[in-house]
Amino acid sequence: MNAPFFKFDMFSVDFSLVVAFIIGIGFGFALERGGFGNARILASQFYFTDMRVLKVMFSAIVTAMLGVFFFVAFGWLDLSLVYYTDTNLIPQIVGGLILGIGFVIGGYCPGTSCVSAATGRIDGVVYLLGVMAGIFVFGEIFPWISDFYYSTNMGRVFLPDYLGLSYGMVVFLVVLMAVGAFAAAEWGEKKMAAKKSGERK
Amino acid sequence: MKIIEFLQKIDLKIKLASLAILLGLIAFIISDPFDNLYAKINTKELAVMVQKEVDHVNVDELADWIIKGKSDYRLIDLRSEKEFNEYNIPGSENILITNLLDGQISRNEKIILYSDGGIHSAQAWFLLKAKDFKNVYILRGGLEEWRDKILFPKLASNATEIEKAKFEIASAISRYFGGTPQLMIGEQPTSVAIQSATPQVPKIQAPVGSSSSGAKKKKREGC
Amino acid sequence: MTSITGIFSKDDAVQEKVYEPKPYSNPYLVGIGLGLVLLAAFVIMGRGLGASGAFSSLVSAGVQKVAPEHAANNPYFSEYLGDGSVNPLKDWLVFEVLGVFVGGLISGLLAHRVKKTVEKGDRISVRNRLIFAFIGGGLMGFGAKLARGCTSGQALTGGALLNLGSWAFMMMVFAGAYAMAYFMRRQWT
Repeated sequence: MNAPFFKFDMFSVDFSLVVAFIIGIGFGFALERGGFGNARILASQFYFTDMRVLKVMFSAIVTAMLGVFFFVAFGWLDLSLVYYTDTNLIPQIVGGLILGIGFVIGGYCPGTSCVSAATGRIDGVVYLLGVMAGIFVFGEIFPWISDFYYSTNMGRVFLPDYLGLSYGMVVFLVVLMAVGAFAAAEWGEKKMAAKKSGERK
Repeated sequence: MKIIEFLQKIDLKIKLASLAILLGLIAFIISDPFDNLYAKINTKELAVMVQKEVDHVNVDELADWIIKGKSDYRLIDLRSEKEFNEYNIPGSENILITNLLDGQISRNEKIILYSDGGIHSAQAWFLLKAKDFKNVYILRGGLEEWRDKILFPKLASNATEIEKAKFEIASAISRYFGGTPQLMIGEQPTSVAIQSATPQVPKIQAPVGSSSSGAKKKKREGC
Repeated sequence: MTSITGIFSKDDAVQEKVYEPKPYSNPYLVGIGLGLVLLAAFVIMGRGLGASGAFSSLVSAGVQKVAPEHAANNPYFSEYLGDGSVNPLKDWLVFEVLGVFVGGLISGLLAHRVKKTVEKGDRISVRNRLIFAFIGGGLMGFGAKLARGCTSGQALTGGALLNLGSWAFMMMVFAGAYAMAYFMRRQWT
């Protein structure tokens, strides 16, 4: 099978934009279904009251990861043609921290803020404006931080290679870790709910 | 059935978790999903392709593409490094057959293979096709044909007007690539007056028109 | 649970029908659905999802409109503007994000969850919430560009592809968020 289809010229660049739109609809629909258009729900993750963010994210990652693995195993997908970002370790770590802080302050991430804005939340709209302002500031100071931006480039680092384990082994470990995290999350939520109802009495 | 009832009563979460762990376990057992050494061949499809000769490229077509500066393909020279350094068709890359599948070439690229004659390039073609490469072509006649038709085109002494006209064009192409057009006197080739006597393989720099592969539009695919 | 009447209407008495917003779906099923969308993107397009990149294109296009030479001189914006042959907004991510808006709206409409409101905890004012939303967004935009992506692009996409940088990024997002949660508890709890 010639997948990824687009890389084998099965359709034009213009049609790929239609594909983008449709995939986006699926993405936005799923996000809203999960309640991610609501900042309070998103923030609840970090107060242990509703661990939805973890559940949705890791279910999605595990599903897609298993999908990719088995598609490659069946010869249905050429992984070398799938876009893979370079690892720039320090900027990504710092960026992740900043993003995490911004997440709790703002209550959204760029994708969910779109869903939030689409369902009428004003804070979602304001958040989006903030994102654009942040990007603008980044662009403006870029000449001064470009050295940092490009630092610690490790190229494309595939986790199994990095850990010295086989692809399948890492997949299995990630699944175990995710299921473990889910179990912990369920337990944590129950504890929190019991504690809360205990407080109210 | 009791088993089905039992299974239905299990919480959805447990079912999903079990399915995920099962799949993960299978992945662990498979270990490496990339089938590197072996290939599955669609014999009928390949036979038809060979019969129809759809995957051939003629030397004059290639010469035309090079002159025009077309850069949507990769030209692969399958010979040894020494032979490659003595002479190679402008814009070609030197990759040995044993290195063809090591990841330098993507499955969706347009590849033209050549060697001295046609044997190695045909064999390499087969290897790539077996591994599902989509656009693989063979330079018909290989480097021998390239030398014969492009670098050193010959005009017989008893040529017709049409043949003479064609020879003019061929001469221009030949000089572009640094070759020497040849006039045949009886059975002996001699060079056209302008160039010097002995036909030897010329050293060619890549023609100005050919753009590097870096000119390919960089499609941003980040997030 | 408050009931909402119709869409975007503030007065209960005006509309006849009363819709209860439906509860959110099972997160595991939502996650699987999301994962399948991501897988589809890999198989069809050979790339993953994203969000912040679309806004980079938007910002770059905006800067270009206002100050074209400045945009061209800035190495970051000019990368999104390309060589001028293609409109920077004719970009895969821009169209994908438009789809995200539409998809979110459709789901919201079907579940009667579209409502003009501000999501916030009880202990904070609307004004402060919006200020924090803006600041949070700003930090996010900045951090996302530094890390070459946000949670959709790096965490989901890179996570599924077992990309080292993406996993490191994801860990740090959770770490940063949990660390900050204590200081923001007024806003949410």
